[in-house]
Amino acid sequence: MSDRANLQLRRRKIRDRSIALLLLGIVLLLPPAANMALIDAQVGDLPFALAYVFAVWVFLIIGTALLSRPLLASDDSSKTPENISPEN
Amino acid sequence: MFSVNIFLAVCLGYVALLFVVAFAVDRRTRRNPIQWLQSPVIYTLSISIYCTSWTFYGAVGSAARNGLEFITIYLGPTLVFVGWWWMLRKLVRIGKAHRVTSIADLISSRYGKSPSLAVLVTIIAVIATAPYIALQLQSVTRSYQVIAGGGDSASTAFWIATGLALFAILFGTRNLDANERHHGVVAAIALEAIVKLVALLAVGIFATYGVANGFADIFADLPNEALEGAEGIFGPRWVILTFLSATAIICLPRQFQVTVVENIDERHLATASWLFPLYLLGMTIFIMPIALVGLKVMPEGANPDLYVLTLPLEQNRTDLALLAFLGGFSSATSMVIVAAIAVSTMVSNHVIMPLALKVLAGSHAVSGDVRNLLLSSRRFCIAAILALGYFYFRFSSGSDALAAIGLIAFVGVAQFLPSLLGGIFWRGATRPGALCGLTVGFLLWIYTLFLPSFGNELLFSDNFLSNGPWGMGLLRPQALMGLVGWDPLVHAVVWSVGLNALTFVVVSSLTNPDALERLQAGIFVDAFRTAGGTSSSFAAGTAQSEDLFILAQRILGAQPARILFDEMAREQGTATGLPHPTDAVISRLERELSGSIGAASAHAMVTRIAGRQTVGMTELIDIADETQRLIETSRQLEEKSNELEQAAQQLRSANERLRTLDLQKDEFLSQISHELRTPMTSIRSFSDLLQTQPELSLEDRNHFTSIIHGESLRLTRLLDEILDISRLETGAATLKLEPVGVNRAVAHALDAVLGISRSADVEISVGPVSPETQVLANGDRLHQVLINILSNAIKYNHAPEPRIQVRSLVTREKVTIDIIDNGGGVSREDAAMVFEKFARGKNAGQDRGAGLGLPISLAIMHAMKGDLTIEFGKDSTSFFRLHLVHHESVVASA
Repeated sequence: MSDRANLQLRRRKIRDRSIALLLLGIVLLLPPAANMALIDAQVGDLPFALAYVFAVWVFLIIGTALLSRPLLASDDSSKTPENISPEN
Repeated sequence: MFSVNIFLAVCLGYVALLFVVAFAVDRRTRRNPIQWLQSPVIYTLSISIYCTSWTFYGAVGSAARNGLEFITIYLGPTLVFVGWWWMLRKLVRIGKAHRVTSIADLISSRYGKSPSLAVLVTIIAVIATAPYIALQLQSVTRSYQVIAGGGDSASTAFWIATGLALFAILFGTRNLDANERHHGVVAAIALEAIVKLVALLAVGIFATYGVANGFADIFADLPNEALEGAEGIFGPRWVILTFLSATAIICLPRQFQVTVVENIDERHLATASWLFPLYLLGMTIFIMPIALVGLKVMPEGANPDLYVLTLPLEQNRTDLALLAFLGGFSSATSMVIVAAIAVSTMVSNHVIMPLALKVLAGSHAVSGDVRNLLLSSRRFCIAAILALGYFYFRFSSGSDALAAIGLIAFVGVAQFLPSLLGGIFWRGATRPGALCGLTVGFLLWIYTLFLPSFGNELLFSDNFLSNGPWGMGLLRPQALMGLVGWDPLVHAVVWSVGLNALTFVVVSSLTNPDALERLQAGIFVDAFRTAGGTSSSFAAGTAQSEDLFILAQRILGAQPARILFDEMAREQGTATGLPHPTDAVISRLERELSGSIGAASAHAMVTRIAGRQTVGMTELIDIADETQRLIETSRQLEEKSNELEQAAQQLRSANERLRTLDLQKDEFLSQISHELRTPMTSIRSFSDLLQTQPELSLEDRNHFTSIIHGESLRLTRLLDEILDISRLETGAATLKLEPVGVNRAVAHALDAVLGISRSADVEISVGPVSPETQVLANGDRLHQVLINILSNAIKYNHAPEPRIQVRSLVTREKVTIDIIDNGGGVSREDAAMVFEKFARGKNAGQDRGAGLGLPISLAIMHAMKGDLTIEFGKDSTSFFRLHLVHHESVVASA
């Protein structure tokens, strides 16, 4: 495989991961999956449901943060962000 | 406890600080941009105007009443930012490329720069925003009353509204500059974003560790209902609220303003994608603890909506209360300022400007400075919107209706979602589709949620709500079509957004976009593939540079217009004067103007000056022409290739014929040389004998000489025949045709062969014979043919009693002469080749004829427009038939 094809594959993978993260977030935060968090238990000092929602939330933030740079680098439609601004 | 005076001083000091920050930043930025102010962190902080006082105070109230549900308001935006790559990035890209000034501008621009769509979106935005502003005024007023211990709510709200209007006007309408960025305002709201986060965190930490004993203490023995609400937490309402908040972060005019319009660099989105959700997490992490602690320690009947403020006061932490107040104040003011700027931009661009343009259209004077008009109209709009919010506050004051207003506004702006998403992801979305969808959604929102929210007897009576208008149960606002038992919010969202989207899709699929709309649809949907900003390029018609320049001056101001036109002129290579109004110039001007007054208005103005009312049609025709040309070219190519194919085929067959002819020529030559060789050999050998053997007897000499003579004659005859046939075949010899009597010619020929027939003992009979008929022929040549055929018949007839019959037959057009012998004739196999040169039949035996007689006869007959054929009888005997042209038929037809 050529370097270019490798690069394309890597970019596609990163975009796929960003989609996967989004879908995971939607599924985990909405019923019916979210209903699984309704158990009578505690995580540390917190009720399970509360801990669950915040844990998913933190997971999404970390995932997005990790993907944000590779995603930007994968954007071949704007190498210099200002080149799309018409006054330049 | 602080005295009210100190409290007021702190408040005014804070307000003064905001003014100074905005002022300083605005001034600095105009000289040269401040680096750190253009950072992604500032961008993220400005997006946090999402957290209004509704979040600051209301979330705690909501948590106290409904448990975890408040979190949905932050989960939706989190999901949108997690998926920033797929939607926000596209919105920002489109917004930058088209210099979009508001969400109304974006939607109208996408659907063919439609003014009606822009007005509709603006109306919905105003109706949804005014109550939201009222909510902010209310929360600031109430919190002020709590801190100051009373005071007239009306006058407090009035002064707050006035101050906010002043701020928004001062920093929101300083200029109309590119992309509607307001650096001073952004700096101020970024500062406020930090203040509100710090304040809420401070109160939260105080509540958790100052009042309670950490999380364990707060959540110990917590009943399920406290967390999960009365009806279970992860239900339809949870889904709908998440959906609504996700929609709001895109569709709220103020969010669109800070996220898309104020965006400086697309890459900032990458940072905001995780930093903004993190900010939201920070804002919410202590909401639940504050609510639970408040419920525990606050006296019965205390308003949970104000726990953030009253909890520190209750605990005698006035400093914290003051900080909390400033946080709430910050949340409210930043939201009001940005919302007022965003909505006023929409109103002035899409409602006031078009009207003003109509009025000004009559007087084409330069004196009517559009720029000033625009600024004034925007200032007026800000004041008007805040006034509207204030009156709404007064109007509904005292009722608890405002509490739900945040969500009602969310549902209102959610009506933009189908048109917005459809616009940037679906080429097939059309203006009628967007108009119908928005209208349906808007009306249903008004009917099912907005009007009922005014509550008791104000607009809708209880009777109206529970029994429907005129007792029609199916039309009950909160149970439309008999959907009883639904949460009113879920009910309203399902009906309004659902039918909105459905109508949008159905009408779009049934209608066709016009040319400009198709163009815009392509550019918007393929935002990442097009170079950006190449919108609406149309051929310059009768556009006058002068007029365009005047227009630009009126909108952009004299200096910026001068600079812009100089630059465009330089690009065209003209050092002085105005640029020629090419496509590029007009498109660029339109784009520059749309940065100030919105795409629809800019398009309308430029189009009017460019003298083109039917831009779309021309473009459409151009596109169609282009397609037609391509089809035509390809068709022509195909034809050409077919022609070439045919030519090649013809060449191939011609080549084939040439080869055959060449082969025949070779054969002919080799046969001729063979035929010539035989007599030549005998002549040479006998003359050799005569030369080398002088002792030969005279008798022998005479014999040899006679052989040489005979062979010479044969050679001469052969050469004559060859010459003859070649002349006949090439048509070099034209025979003189004259009327010839058939019977006479036959008799003449029979006389000529009488000698050989007698010696061969062949009996020749004539008849039946037609009456004497004239044919068109050459007498001598006909004679030659007849003799040739007759002598052949005599020579090759090996029957015991050889007989020959000659008969003639006259038809209307033709005269035929048959020469029939009883020698068996020519076999079928030979028939095809006897007319070939040098060919001899099987019966020819030892005869030494050259084999040119029949070919010559055939050539003669052809030259006389007749023919010579071999006919086969029933008993497979064959005979020769001469076809001749009837003289009278030629005369008759002549």
